[in-house]
Amino acid sequence: MSLGLDLSYLERSARGEFDLGWLRDTDSEWGVRAVPSKTGLTMRDIFIGSYGEVPEHAPLRTMAPRGSDVDPDVPDMGYTINDKAEVWSDNVLDLYEEAVSRQWSATRDIPWGDLAPLDPDVEHAMCQLATVLSEVEMVAADFPAKWLWRINHDFVEAKMFLCTQVMDEARHTEVFRKRALANGGGLGKATAVVERFLQLILDADSYDEGSALMHLLGEGIVLSLFRAGAALSPSPVEQQIFRLCMQDEARHVAYGTMHLRYRLERDPSMADDFHAYLDKGEEIMAMIFSTPEIVEPTAILAAGSVEAACELGPAAGDVLRLQIVGDYLKRCSHAGLDRRGRLHLPDAIITGVPGAMAEEVAV
Amino acid sequence: MATIDAAFPSAEWFEELVARATADSAAMERLGIAEFRLGCEIVLPDGARPLFGLVLDGYDIDAVGRVDEGTFAPDVVVVGPLEAWTEMVGWIEVNGPADSAHSLNGLSIAGVPFEVRAADAMGSDKFYRFMGTLQAVFDAAAEAPVPVATA
Repeated sequence: MSLGLDLSYLERSARGEFDLGWLRDTDSEWGVRAVPSKTGLTMRDIFIGSYGEVPEHAPLRTMAPRGSDVDPDVPDMGYTINDKAEVWSDNVLDLYEEAVSRQWSATRDIPWGDLAPLDPDVEHAMCQLATVLSEVEMVAADFPAKWLWRINHDFVEAKMFLCTQVMDEARHTEVFRKRALANGGGLGKATAVVERFLQLILDADSYDEGSALMHLLGEGIVLSLFRAGAALSPSPVEQQIFRLCMQDEARHVAYGTMHLRYRLERDPSMADDFHAYLDKGEEIMAMIFSTPEIVEPTAILAAGSVEAACELGPAAGDVLRLQIVGDYLKRCSHAGLDRRGRLHLPDAIITGVPGAMAEEVAV
Repeated sequence: MATIDAAFPSAEWFEELVARATADSAAMERLGIAEFRLGCEIVLPDGARPLFGLVLDGYDIDAVGRVDEGTFAPDVVVVGPLEAWTEMVGWIEVNGPADSAHSLNGLSIAGVPFEVRAADAMGSDKFYRFMGTLQAVFDAAAEAPVPVATA
């Protein structure tokens, strides 16, 4: 492969005969003066003029920065996602800035020294939950990473946001692994049902399918788990862990919801496809609700002990169940996908969630 | 640092809360930018429901006093009876940063005693996205100076 080395240019430039074509003849917008907003120069501040125009379909498959004057003979990078609607969301610029601004360190920002000994069953429950979360979080890095190189560079803001997600998820995996190993416990059990859900996301045939399963459904579930974790934390250490993870996860869910909305607004006929993706995802979701390694540690943390959790029965997990299903339905609705009455979840899981039962919708 | 002089709930109380929270601006900036409008609705024994607004705008945090919900257009309104609000604030005053049971998240997750009302799913998700900043603001009610948790 020739990289196009111009030996004559080396000789001319050595004599001081510069080309200066890039200086005199560049066909890109000049005179742009982006004005910083009060938090600094944001991605939205530079989303101006021709530089703020994102093509609906990328004309080239190149890494050239959008808005630059591109050589006609640039190589084809082989991107497979070349339509804006496949990855875009109206909030992606702001979510990127927010993500960069709200980064944290699992080493520095968690008061690890304040961990106190817990009742052994409670410590075991926390470690089991940390095991599951350390397991599931990395798929939310693997999935965007798998698709990032296929996304056309014209949609660079979406790619940048997905890069922040990869970093967020690495940190979540880190912080839960650290929590499991920091207080006399250790890692617990990794289950086949959880792995099957992760496989469903990772093996998705399209970014659309994987994003719906991961950003909207999977991360929505985990967001509720984080929220519950923060509310049930036995110490300020876990409270800080779950709160910081919750903030990150909610950004990812916000992207997924608004991406689906953007997609459906431009092509409403895709609703059936997304319903089919979520039909499949919800079946796994139902299995997660019946997985002891997830349900029981959460119930024990909520109740404070094994005995109290057994006494409370399903009530110990009801708050989490209602929140997961209720928030999921609201996000789907906001995205323009009405899942009310067509959830692929057993009645035991959707009972009590407004609008979840088919009969309620019919009425 | 003593407790906030102004009575709760009042515009002055929220103003003083925000002034204390933002006194160490570098610490608050470490929490990151936020774009969020929070309404705090306190249900009084006589049935009145005053609504107080907090605006997070970049690194700025402002208490905008008593507001009309339609005009203020909050992303989220946290609604709860006076006794629940005073219990939360009183606990923080005495003990410092809220524990799980006295945090905005802990008090609202089950829908009681606090209910989170949002116009849409994006509003409630914003409540989760900026929870650390919101809690840091309310933790500033503590009688002793509160080190702001990073990030």
